Amino acid sequence: MTTSQRWQRILIVLGCAVIAYAVLAPLTSLDGAQALNLPLLTDKLWFRLATITAMFVVMATAWNIIGGLTGYAAFGNVAFFGIGAYTTGMLIAKAKWPFLLALPLAPVAAAIFAVLVGLPLLRLRGHYFAVASLGVGVAVGELVQNLDYRGEPIFGGASGLFMPIFAVPNRDLYFFYLMLGAAGVSIAVTWAVIRSRFGYGLIAIRENEEAAAVIGVNTTAYKVAAFALAAALTGLAGGIFAQWNVFIDQENSFPIAYNVEMILMALLGGTGTVFGPAAGAVVLQLLIQFLSGSLPITLDLPFVPEDAMPVLAQVVLGVLLALVVIFAPRGVIDFFGGRSRLTIAYLRRSLRETSI
Amino acid sequence: MADLVQLVIIGLLAGGIYAAVGVGFSLVWGVLNIVNLAHGALVIVGAYLTWQIFTASGLDPFLTLPIDAVALFAFGYVVQRGVINRIIRAPLLFTFLLTFGLNLIAVNVLLLIFKSDFRSVTTAYSGAGLDLGGIVVPYIRLAALGIALLVAAALALLLNRTRVGLAIQAVGSDRDAAQLVGIDLRHAYAVTYGLGAACAGVAGGLIAMIQAITPTAGEPYTLQAFVVVILGGLGRVSATVVGGLVFGLVEAFAQSIPGSGSVFANAIAFGVMVLVLVTRPQGLLGRLR
Amino acid sequence: MTPQLDLRNVTKRFGGVAAVDGVTFSIAKGEILGVIGPNGAGKTTLLNCISGVYRLDGGDIRWHGVSIAGLAPYRVARLGVGRTFQIVKPFGSMTVRENVAVGALFGSDSERPPLRAAFDRADSVLELVGLRMKADLPVSALTIPDRKRLEVARAVATRPKLLLLDEVMAGLNNVEIDDALEMVRAVHETGVTVVLIEHVMRVIVGVCERVIVLDLGRTLADGQPDVVLRDERVIQAYLGERYARRLRGG
Repeated sequence: MTTSQRWQRILIVLGCAVIAYAVLAPLTSLDGAQALNLPLLTDKLWFRLATITAMFVVMATAWNIIGGLTGYAAFGNVAFFGIGAYTTGMLIAKAKWPFLLALPLAPVAAAIFAVLVGLPLLRLRGHYFAVASLGVGVAVGELVQNLDYRGEPIFGGASGLFMPIFAVPNRDLYFFYLMLGAAGVSIAVTWAVIRSRFGYGLIAIRENEEAAAVIGVNTTAYKVAAFALAAALTGLAGGIFAQWNVFIDQENSFPIAYNVEMILMALLGGTGTVFGPAAGAVVLQLLIQFLSGSLPITLDLPFVPEDAMPVLAQVVLGVLLALVVIFAPRGVIDFFGGRSRLTIAYLRRSLRETSI
Repeated sequence: MADLVQLVIIGLLAGGIYAAVGVGFSLVWGVLNIVNLAHGALVIVGAYLTWQIFTASGLDPFLTLPIDAVALFAFGYVVQRGVINRIIRAPLLFTFLLTFGLNLIAVNVLLLIFKSDFRSVTTAYSGAGLDLGGIVVPYIRLAALGIALLVAAALALLLNRTRVGLAIQAVGSDRDAAQLVGIDLRHAYAVTYGLGAACAGVAGGLIAMIQAITPTAGEPYTLQAFVVVILGGLGRVSATVVGGLVFGLVEAFAQSIPGSGSVFANAIAFGVMVLVLVTRPQGLLGRLR
Repeated sequence: MTPQLDLRNVTKRFGGVAAVDGVTFSIAKGEILGVIGPNGAGKTTLLNCISGVYRLDGGDIRWHGVSIAGLAPYRVARLGVGRTFQIVKPFGSMTVRENVAVGALFGSDSERPPLRAAFDRADSVLELVGLRMKADLPVSALTIPDRKRLEVARAVATRPKLLLLDEVMAGLNNVEIDDALEMVRAVHETGVTVVLIEHVMRVIVGVCERVIVLDLGRTLADGQPDVVLRDERVIQAYLGERYARRLRGG
């Protein structure tokens, strides 16, 4: 037990250091950083990377509420991201609303949508729910891109939506903090949920839905509420993304790959935990960025042209997905968090438990 | 009236392809209890195989179909034996994620090799068709429908009339009991997945002759296969074929609505799926497992 | 006085077969009632009808005179009807205490305690069923008899006015059955109406004041245990025609 406690302490200290750096570093002036030759601060890229990472922290943490706590394998959460993005996008680009007025409507729209699709879909279990939710993700993106009204695309169509640039000093910093705030909110919400009657009800549903119902858990209402909560948080991230990126279209607002990336992040860090999905998001996002060559430190592979790197990154992601589900189905937090030790025996046990 | 006939013909022709895509998916789902998210990728691998052989050697694309079947069977067998068998007893989220991972690998490897350009198989008879009183039905599409039905029939025969087919059915209905009577589970599972992949491969070959393909073109087929199986109900091959034809018809009619079109392939599939799952969860013909 | 629970002509069919076929009886507050019957008699189906897991195909179920037929399971639970499952359904990732505390957090509408109070209640229920010492164990560490106790404890924690126990003695040996009976009596003494659904007759005789025998979905007999168990039709249903005839002849 002492080893695990030591590990936990080390992790907490490391985590605090990373967070403190992430929060404080941008406050120091860029000039000062350049003078001191701190590599990460001298580059605008750092903000982009940090903001995207925070965005994935929101999505993975939000997925954890429906997928990890409630046990419903939602595969289409990207729909909520896109709906959030398009809600802010439409309000700003078409209705000329100011960003800060439009943003709060992103989570609201995503949550309302989640309630509407959740009521029929959350009656389904297992494969049926998983594929149906996957369908939601692709179908909404398709509708947003292609819906016309009298020959005019309603949501900007294939050419997407442009928003005026949000005029604040230090724009990069502003959006980084906004996204970091959203990440903080989602983690705080998860923390509060896990300690509440609501959270116990969700976990009861995950463990045995029938037993949960006969002790008085209103399973339908709880599932829909969890789905809507996940949707609201994901939609918030989408709303921030829209104005930050200035331009949105189907491709950047409804990427199918996000669906599985957020799940893999939650899985890596440990589903059902408060900080696990966030940790998984940071690790996996850095890996994805590294592989696709957007980090200052890049990987040069022989025979692989530079423009093929993002595609190769997806291949690696697929392999990683396979490795995680085969060898570490309880997430890496299981051994890094100190509950088990990472040994060959552990990997073999994981394998044996599920194979034939 | 002519419009209606035309829609029915278009629907049935498309439905044949959906049936071909669906039977393999249904087999894997029914026996292995896996919703194979890599199924669309297997379809498109078959399509590229046909394209590659046709382009390189000029072999008639219909003659590439047996090659697709054998190659995809071998590939599927190895994937199941080497990878999927390792997590077959894990909760569904994991098999789901694994097959998605396989999908990701397959699609992106295709992208690395073939880039995202459109490719198509054009033969001397590509444009020719049968004139049915003003409605031209391309020969290739007719042949595709015939082959799709043939593949389904062959699969049904194999499952019901051969030793290995019966073993697969036994494994599908009770894994542990099948093991007790001496069936090699790993092999039976791998053969099942191989057969599913072979069907997908043939379907892909047919698709390559009908439409232009890209590595990501297989993606809608996974969702559509799922809808086809839901429509028909999980289980018998014949039910899946009916599901495929029905889905083809529904889609043809849905796309004929003004303002709609082929851009809504996924949305239509999704709409049909939700409608069926909510109103008649046991499928139009069969029952849920 | 209206009975606590009143079943009238309750019917449930699967396909064409009636698993429960026109069952009528009522339960008074504070009773301890046994429901027995051979395998396939419809005992568990009947329980599922009462707790709202199944929708009725005919008849009515009234709770203090008000129909509860067609209510969702959670609403039945909130009225004060608790139940266990024959095949135990614990919340696997939780400890024993958490399992019971979740029962206390939800359950009957009468009071919905905050988290702290729910855990306190869990402790006192665990005391009652004799699992106090194992409160912090994960469910996976429990023996079969203990899992059955946990199933009962979770149901008791929901503050039921009526508790339906589905074969909580099945698979236990004689000593374990005696312990379990002790537990059921203790629960009954807290003022809860108890319905014991059992396959084993011995269990019922020891503790119940009244017994209902089901066979092929119908009520075969309803009365005091010693009377019911001498009923010829009951003997036939349980032991078979030939054995009953021999009993009569000899």
